[in-house]
Amino acid sequence: MFLLDDLFIRPFTSILTVIQAMAVEELYDRDEIKNDMKENRLLFELGERSRAEYERRSEELQTQLDVANQAHETLSTKIQVKQ
Amino acid sequence: MSEEYLYAYGVIENEELGIDIEGVEGATRAYTVDHRTLSAITSDIHTMDPEETEENVRAHDEVLQTVMFWDEGRTVVPMQFGMTFKNERPLKNVLRGGRRAFTQALREMDGMVEFGVKLIVDEETTIDRDAVRESTTNRLATVSEQEAQNDLFSDRLVVNRSYLVNRNERSAFDSAVDTITDEYSDSVTVQYTGPWAPYNFVDIEISSQ
Repeated sequence: MFLLDDLFIRPFTSILTVIQAMAVEELYDRDEIKNDMKENRLLFELGERSRAEYERRSEELQTQLDVANQAHETLSTKIQVKQ
Repeated sequence: MSEEYLYAYGVIENEELGIDIEGVEGATRAYTVDHRTLSAITSDIHTMDPEETEENVRAHDEVLQTVMFWDEGRTVVPMQFGMTFKNERPLKNVLRGGRRAFTQALREMDGMVEFGVKLIVDEETTIDRDAVRESTTNRLATVSEQEAQNDLFSDRLVVNRSYLVNRNERSAFDSAVDTITDEYSDSVTVQYTGPWAPYNFVDIEISSQ
């Protein structure tokens, strides 16, 4: 019974971890946030965005990036522990 | 007094230079550290790990640009942002280890400067992006030595390229950009930047010992 539990649970949890990793990857796409940062800068340079708007958006995106970095860090630690 | 470190901006052919200029991390002077035929452009800073802020990145660029055009001008091989050394010794080791690569890069980049060209389409336009891209990049290729494609990080970016241009042919490149700007002024904004040190055309990897 223990053996069966082990066999059943182990692959199941690791698949969950993988799914979670993919979700974090999608939810916290750091490349996309960085692209948004560059676009924000570009639109400010072109005069399409005011300094106030540019700064507000910069701050917002920086927070998003910090959260994303944290999420990735937490997850990679988890995966390392499992391996 | 906190400890001082050496921040390196780039490399030139051996020459003694000292320029009072605002540098990375609030440095107030840029000066050269030599090793045989090469000189590194450096500043004294108070941290081993300068932050990649907008202000610091701009200061890095400005020091390189100033050196590029100081007196009669010279060729600069830029270093990427953040190269900091404990003192002169490890920096000289890098110059020694990379001497052949730096010398070759200085030769290849002799008299060259880099320009950036971005084409951004207006929000509501229906212009044929591929046609614009092809026509403009073909035109710019004829007045430049080399080109490098950069990320199209926004949906509105049609072109984002760096061009290596001979200083003597700068006016031809300028007028090509002017022509493009006029031709598409209805629906495209052109962002033209430079001259920069040739960041996108030098790729030297050296590990310090």
